[in-house]
Parts: sequence; structure tokens; C-alpha cells
Amino acid sequence: MLEIGWNLLFTVINLVILFIAMKIFLFKPVRKIIAKRQEEADSLRNEAEAMKAEAKKTKAEYEKALAKTKDEREDILTTARHMADEEAEKILADAREEAKEIREAAEDEGERRKERIIAEAGKEIADMVAGATAKAMGDTDDAALYDAFLDKVEGKA
Amino acid sequence: MEKMDVKTMFTIPVFGGINVSESVVVTWIIMAAMILFAIVMTRGLRVNKISKRQAFLEWMVTKLDGMVGGMLGGHAKVFGEYLITMLLFIGLANIVGIFGFKSPTKDLNVTIALALMSIVLVEAAGIYFLGIKRHLHKFIEPTPVVLPINILEVVTKPLSLCMRLFGNVIGAFVIMALLEFVVPIGIPMVFSLYFDFFDGLLQAYVFVFLTGLYLTEAVE
Repeated sequence: MLEIGWNLLFTVINLVILFIAMKIFLFKPVRKIIAKRQEEADSLRNEAEAMKAEAKKTKAEYEKALAKTKDEREDILTTARHMADEEAEKILADAREEAKEIREAAEDEGERRKERIIAEAGKEIADMVAGATAKAMGDTDDAALYDAFLDKVEGKA
Repeated sequence: MEKMDVKTMFTIPVFGGINVSESVVVTWIIMAAMILFAIVMTRGLRVNKISKRQAFLEWMVTKLDGMVGGMLGGHAKVFGEYLITMLLFIGLANIVGIFGFKSPTKDLNVTIALALMSIVLVEAAGIYFLGIKRHLHKFIEPTPVVLPINILEVVTKPLSLCMRLFGNVIGAFVIMALLEFVVPIGIPMVFSLYFDFFDGLLQAYVFVFLTGLYLTEAVE
């Protein structure tokens, strides 16, 4: 029933062949593909890691730039405000000066005009007086006096 | 009990005729099935967008790796693939009876071959990883008193491996044959589930587990 011999050797050979075949056809391809995937995943992760670091760096840079810009803006604003204040002050002072000049000029002008008007008025009054005098002096003939007298009388009568 | 005999399938006409037994032929069939399975399953493997077939294959290999990796420690990890091969082969050999073949493990030649390979591997691994001096020194550890027992173990380890597997398979076969003789319908199927599937796979696991244990022990 139990015959030990050649078949034992055959079995050993069979098993060795089976092991080698399994190694070549089953384990090698599967391990290769798993290793490849691992490699790919690793490289992807490294890439992502690098990108993250890069993004962090860029963000820090931007934040720095932003802070700088903010400071600059503050500076510019302060300077501008300062300058504007000065400018306004200057303009106000100028305006005040000008207003003063104008007022003085106007006062002078008014004074002058008043004087002129007075002078003119005086002249006119003199003229009128002169005119009236001349008139009064010009019509000094008797006929007229008579007429006038008569008119007055007739008018009264 | 004609079925218990290991028949000779054909004879190679050299050295006065070498008889090739049925177990060897069934082993070839199992080998062919395993290799074919491997070739079919590993076709067109991809890194991304894997097919269900590939997912199953990777799951299977990873699971087997984990299973065998748990048995092995240290340097012995390199024997994982050998143990997986043995596990698959013995498992298939034990349940191949379901498909009408005669289990190769029912032939003492096969179990002796398996056990011999295991013990040769164990001793070779011990010598390879520890050196011949350290390996031999292990025989008198922790005290020289255990030397005879350790020498005996070199024989009893493979003997127990071989006989356990052979005895379980032949025992299961005998019980199943008797059951089929007594109750031809129904009951044998339930018992077949236990004896062929459960015990068959369990014995494959035990064989591989013990080999892994010896290997780990040898390389430490």
C-alpha cells in the first residue's frame, strides 16, 4: 500500500517548481505593482509636501508685503495729512492776508470816492449857486421885473 | 478499500520502470491550476484604476502575507513566500478530493516530501543565518543535557509534521468512506464539510504554522 521511493523525489521536484513558479507568476508581479503604487504615492505626497511648503512661504511673503504696504500707506497718509494741514493753513493765511488787503483797498477806495463825491457835490452846489446867481443877475431888465411884478399882482388879484 | 491505495498512473520505462503514482499526477494538476490562476490573475496589473480582479488578488496576497508574517519573526520573514506556497498547495491538496481527485496528501510520499523540505529548510536557515558553529551550539542550549533530545528533534519534527498531515487526511478519508457506506445520503455531506474543508484547511495551516515556528526558532 505504501511505496516510498521515486514519487517522493518527484514530489520534492514538483514543490520546488511550484514555489519558483508562484514566485515568478504570483508574488513578483503583485509585489512589483504594490511597490510601484507605493512609490507613486510617496512621490505624490512629497510633491504635495513641497507644494505646501512653497505655498506657506509665498503666503508669508505676501503677508510681509501686505504689512509693509500697510505701513507705507499709513506713512503716506500721515504725510499727506500733514501736508494738507500745512497747505490749508497756508491757504487760510493767504486768504486772510488777501481779505485784509481787499478790505483796506476797499476802505481806501470808499474814502476816495466819498471825498470825490463831496468834492463833486460841492462843485455842483457852487455851479448851481453860480447859475442861479447868473440867472438872477441875467434877467435884471425892467420889463421883466415889471412883468414879473405884474404877474404876481394879477395872479394875486 | 481499493480507493485507499495509491495507484500507479503510468510507468517511465527507465531504470527498470519508474512508477509515477496518482498523487504525483494530481500534484501536477494542482500545480497547473495554481500557476494558471496566478497567470490569469496577474494579467494587466495596473497602478491606478485597478480592476476587481486585481483588487481581489492584492487583497489575497496581502492577507496571506499578514497571516504568514505573523508566524515568522526576524530573519525568517524571507520564507514568507515559501510558506504561502505550501499553505496554498496543502490546502488545495486536502480539499481536491471534493472534485473527484485523490488527495495527494493521502500519499505518504507527498507528506514525507513536504516534511523533508521543511526540515531541510529549517536546518539550512539556521546554518545560513547563524553560522554552522552557532547552529550546532544550539543543540546544547540551555544545558548539554538536552543534546540527545535536540538531536532527536531533528527527526521527530519532520516525522510529526508528516504523520500528522498524512494521518489526518487518511483518517478523514476512512471516516468519510465508512459514513458513506452506512448513510449514503445527506449526512456524509455535512461531515465532508468538516473533514474535507475544515480539517483539510486546518491541517494546511498547522503544517505551515509549525514550519514557521521551527524556522523562527532556528534563526534566532
